[in-house]
Amino acid sequence: MAEHDLSKTIIPYLDRHLSFPLLAHLVETSLFPVEQVQAAQYELAKGTNMFDYAVNLFEQIHPDQQVPAEFDEKRKNAVSTHERLQLEAQAVLDVIENPDVAQALRQDKNQNLQYLKDNYGLTLDQITALYNFGQFQYSYGNYSGAADYLYHFRVLSTDNDLNTSAHWGKLASDILTGRWEIALEELNTLRDAIDSRSPSSILAPSAASNAPEPALVQLHSRTWLAHWSLFVYFNHPQGRTLLLETFLSPTYLNTIQTSCPWILRYLATAAILSRKSASLPASASAPVSSRVRNAIREVVKVIQTEEYQYQDPVTSFLKELYVEFDFEAAQRELTLAERVVGDDFFLGEFREEFLDNARYLISEAYCRIHQKIDIGDLSERLNLSRDEGEKWIVNLIRETRMGADAKIDLEKNVIQINRPPLPIYQTVIEKTRGLALRTQAIGAAAARTGQQSVAKTETQAPAVAVK
Amino acid sequence: MSRFFRQAGDSDSDSESSDDESMSSGAEDVPQRPPASTAKPAASMSRFLKTAGSDSSDSDSDEDSDSDSDTPHRRRSGLPTIDDSDDEESDDADAPGVRIKSAAERRLDEMKATGKAIENGLKINDWVAISNEFDKLARMIQRQQNVSEPVPPFYIQTLVSLEVSINTAAAKEKEAKKKMNATNAKALTAVKQKVKRAIKEYEVEVKKFQDDPETFEREYAAVVAPEPVTSKRTSTQTGEATEAENFTPVGKGGKVMQFTADGIFKNLQAVQEARGKKNTDRAEQIRILEKLLEVSVTSYQRIRVLLALISSRFDYNSSVASHMPIELWLSAQREVDQLVAIVATDGNYSIQELTDDYDESIERSPTTEGGIVRIRGSIISFIDRLDDEFTRSLQNIDPHGTEYVDRLKDEKVLYCTICRAQAFYEKTKQDQPLGRVIMRRLEHIYSKPNAVVQALEAAADVSEFKPNMILSVQGTTSALIHALCVYLYKSGNSLLRTRAMLSHIYHHALHNDFYTARDMLLMSHLQESIHSADVATQILYNRTVVQLGLCAFRSGLIKEAQATLQDIFTTQRVKELLAQGVHQQRFQVLTPEQEKAEKQRQLPFHMHINTELLEAAFLVSSMLVEIPLLASIDSEEMKRKAISKPFRRLLDFADRQVFTGPPESTRDHIMQASKALQDGEWEQCRDLIQSIKIWSLMPEAATVKEMLAQRIQEQGLRTYLFTYAPHYSALSISLLSRTFSLPPRTVTSIVSKMIWNEELSASLDQSGDVVVFHRIELSRTQQLAQSVAEKLAAMIEQSEKVLDVKMGGASGWGDRVEGTKGDKRNEQAQERRGRGERTRGARGGPRGGRGGRFSQGLGNQMPGQTQRGE
Repeated sequence: MAEHDLSKTIIPYLDRHLSFPLLAHLVETSLFPVEQVQAAQYELAKGTNMFDYAVNLFEQIHPDQQVPAEFDEKRKNAVSTHERLQLEAQAVLDVIENPDVAQALRQDKNQNLQYLKDNYGLTLDQITALYNFGQFQYSYGNYSGAADYLYHFRVLSTDNDLNTSAHWGKLASDILTGRWEIALEELNTLRDAIDSRSPSSILAPSAASNAPEPALVQLHSRTWLAHWSLFVYFNHPQGRTLLLETFLSPTYLNTIQTSCPWILRYLATAAILSRKSASLPASASAPVSSRVRNAIREVVKVIQTEEYQYQDPVTSFLKELYVEFDFEAAQRELTLAERVVGDDFFLGEFREEFLDNARYLISEAYCRIHQKIDIGDLSERLNLSRDEGEKWIVNLIRETRMGADAKIDLEKNVIQINRPPLPIYQTVIEKTRGLALRTQAIGAAAARTGQQSVAKTETQAPAVAVK
Repeated sequence: MSRFFRQAGDSDSDSESSDDESMSSGAEDVPQRPPASTAKPAASMSRFLKTAGSDSSDSDSDEDSDSDSDTPHRRRSGLPTIDDSDDEESDDADAPGVRIKSAAERRLDEMKATGKAIENGLKINDWVAISNEFDKLARMIQRQQNVSEPVPPFYIQTLVSLEVSINTAAAKEKEAKKKMNATNAKALTAVKQKVKRAIKEYEVEVKKFQDDPETFEREYAAVVAPEPVTSKRTSTQTGEATEAENFTPVGKGGKVMQFTADGIFKNLQAVQEARGKKNTDRAEQIRILEKLLEVSVTSYQRIRVLLALISSRFDYNSSVASHMPIELWLSAQREVDQLVAIVATDGNYSIQELTDDYDESIERSPTTEGGIVRIRGSIISFIDRLDDEFTRSLQNIDPHGTEYVDRLKDEKVLYCTICRAQAFYEKTKQDQPLGRVIMRRLEHIYSKPNAVVQALEAAADVSEFKPNMILSVQGTTSALIHALCVYLYKSGNSLLRTRAMLSHIYHHALHNDFYTARDMLLMSHLQESIHSADVATQILYNRTVVQLGLCAFRSGLIKEAQATLQDIFTTQRVKELLAQGVHQQRFQVLTPEQEKAEKQRQLPFHMHINTELLEAAFLVSSMLVEIPLLASIDSEEMKRKAISKPFRRLLDFADRQVFTGPPESTRDHIMQASKALQDGEWEQCRDLIQSIKIWSLMPEAATVKEMLAQRIQEQGLRTYLFTYAPHYSALSISLLSRTFSLPPRTVTSIVSKMIWNEELSASLDQSGDVVVFHRIELSRTQQLAQSVAEKLAAMIEQSEKVLDVKMGGASGWGDRVEGTKGDKRNEQAQERRGRGERTRGARGGPRGGRGGRFSQGLGNQMPGQTQRGE
């Protein structure tokens, strides 16, 4: 199964600290020899300021060797740096935590800076100390502290590059502390920041000169974001739906296709997992967008086009099921996919759910195509024993709308599916349903363009004036 | 023809007669020249050079240009149409020594003859003749001066006497008004003016002459005499005038002096000034320069001479239509090599297109220049020209002859030259020419199979200057091409980038790497901008697209192949679009210029993509796509929505045929195969398709045929189901599997797919292993309602698209959906360039479910907007 493990592909796109959980997971799954994974962990930890952890690992790997002395020295250095940085940062924090100041701060960052400078003698350099300290804290594993400092820094700083960097740092910290709600928020703001990068870089030539090709930078940022967001999306309760929302948007779909096709596994899994919310009438929970509803169809299309450069059991399962309609092959792939999902760091928890949903998909497709189904055969398709299968199918029929159409004939041991063809008027209604809405949207968009151009010039004006 | 010259030369008998001829020709020469050009030194200069040139020309070479071939004959037969160029040819076969002497002599004789003619004119008072003769005389004098010989006294004498005559004539004229006609009078005034001017020009000489004619003549002789006399043969001809003896050695001496190291720059200058003039004899110039090259000593001299020599070789053939003689091309190629070698080995010399002004007539060396000697010139343009000439010669040679193949072998040396130049530019780090030269190199290899590239590279590998990118380093051809292309992507020139991109895609397609090729093509977004590109790039684009289509076909991606080839076939001008033949226009006639331009851009034969094969691939894939589609639609209205118009047209035509014989052409085969497929007889269809002969031209023909057979089976099954479903209520899978000899699993899969996609209203009955059809007959009203609904949907789709276009890059409506697509596009193009890597697809645009996404996009737009507002 090791060949389907994506850790190796994903880790280059992650922060050093974010890779630890992945490696820890690898130790558990024992896909790879434990020693190797530990060696990797050690190598990773060596570069951070988490010396105790590194030493610990070293002792695990080489139980009979002396711990290298450099760690002690480094630790000393780190401690002194920590003190220095803390002092610097504390100065700023003292000011900011003053309730008067908190009240006086406004939306406009430049004004804030001016205010701080005038009243408290705080300069931009001092504020940068917040950033440095945050970063340092992050480097020795105090993620929540890092998150705090970076947050404060971001509120105050006007430096675009450092802000972005702080964004990433904050996101990583939130991920590592497991505060998924906050991380999700952070993720969304970061995504917006990345998406709006190109217009802002036009406004700010300084950023453009640093990065000669903003589009390229943007692509890289999106790639990174796609990887980091996996942490959030597979841990947040609503994550799967949000993942579909994000990754199926053209920009991210393009990013995935262009630079990281392996994300398709997660996309495919998310599509399968969100089957229930998709198939249920939308009224039940929050309204699901049609992007999520048609997720599987979309994903299958992408899988098909990307087949030549990426496939794994999960994508193959969807392909066999919806492109080839080869149920036997789909079943085979499902067995494989189940294990892959189980072993995957992000997907591990969803193994059961995945299997359940995948089975549902198979039976749905099967029932739609067939008129008379042998229960034994279907059970086999679903990797279930005969009795289990029967139970499962009954549940299925009860659960879904199929109840009216499908009947089990126990004597012959078959399911009879009687689906009368859709009346013509209904197809016509189906086809014309969305039209009114779409027309409205067009109208609204057309109306908005007028306003928008006005608004745009307005927003641009102060930005220019500031420079 | 050359034999003729040689014989004439050997006989050596015509030195006398040639004089006569030159005299007579000289006399007749005049009327062709407009009087205005008399005083132009440059013009006469060129004539001199031409004279000198043709003297020595071709006595030794076989390729004496055809234009010369008939003039000697004409002269021999004494026809009166002897023209200006004739006298130059009069003794081209003579040995150099004799020639030189007689040339100088002849000049004097001509002068004398002219003088005589003037005298005659005076006698009969024919001023028109006098004017003409005088012009001629002036030109001769100019010529004389150009070889830096002093003005002969004879001229001054004539001048003086003419002045007197004019004065008297003018005086007479005043007295007797009616004596002269208008033209004569005009000529008189003209001559008067000219003489006045001439006298003014030679004021000193005239004065001296008037004072003391004897001394003047002596002085003249004294100036001329000290010139060294090196010619073997001394003058044998003593003219009427004694001065003749004095003149001859001068001429000889001057000539011989040309080919020494010291005189190089002067001669070079002379040649350069003559360049491009109307009457310059290019062959002679080349010879002079070759001689100069032999005697040149220093690097500087050699560079200078080589620069001039290569240019004049390229000048040799001025006409656009024909190509450079092959020998000439080969020597030019060698000289470019030489030039590159000199400059590459000696870093003190650099050839640049723009330099500071420098004196062309002095020797320069790194010491005098204090560092690098910069010389005006451009190696890259030589390379370009060499390559262009090569292509042109291939265009003009009959591709079916052995000559073509022989010529094609020269590509190797050309390729080596290009590689060498590349190495040179790499060494000197000149990016711009390096880009161009790499492009040239790429163009030689991108469309070639591996074996050919390997051969070319092997040849280039031998050379002492090797560029960094070379096959032996890169490993595979694809890697080599990749390296070359990556360099070009990084270079700033957008044209080169586009062309490199296309070549790269072409190469991928050629090597059956369909996905990579497709992704690159899509990501480059060339299809949007190609319309504004130049014709050559557009042709390259067409070639690339076509190759991509073929690649898809070979890889069994029938739909993709059909879609790719469709565009080019609907135009029905495939050959023209691929620059593989001139299109016959039915309604308008091309102007000769257009035709010429079109001919020029034709590709040489060996680069052609076989259009018949192309057509076969296109029609077969159209058949496989179209026939099931045709079967699936039942209403007449829908039938009009053809996917492939060209195919449909052919099919309709074939349908109308009352009697069809056995198939002959490829088209016939495919049409009959289509009909067989329609009838469900897939075996017949397969046999017909496989019997097409043209497949043999496709690499991996056997696998392609196999693939086609399988596709035919599948599509046959689909067609059959579509066509005959209404007539059955159920069909057994096993029967279908037997009929189409497909495994039952495949049949089930195909049927399932059709059911799932709602193409076929049926369902499978697992217990009986049958397909059960549920067919509903639509009433007319229902049908209409359906089509109305569809049209409405299409209309909305259309308006959305229009709106998208209007909003365009303004990141306006549907922020997530469409607005950012523009950015993305950019980004990917840049990303690709930046990394220079092939990367993956930008496709998968929102094809389905757009509506939902679209409203989503609107919802998302607001937060984005406020964000930006902050």
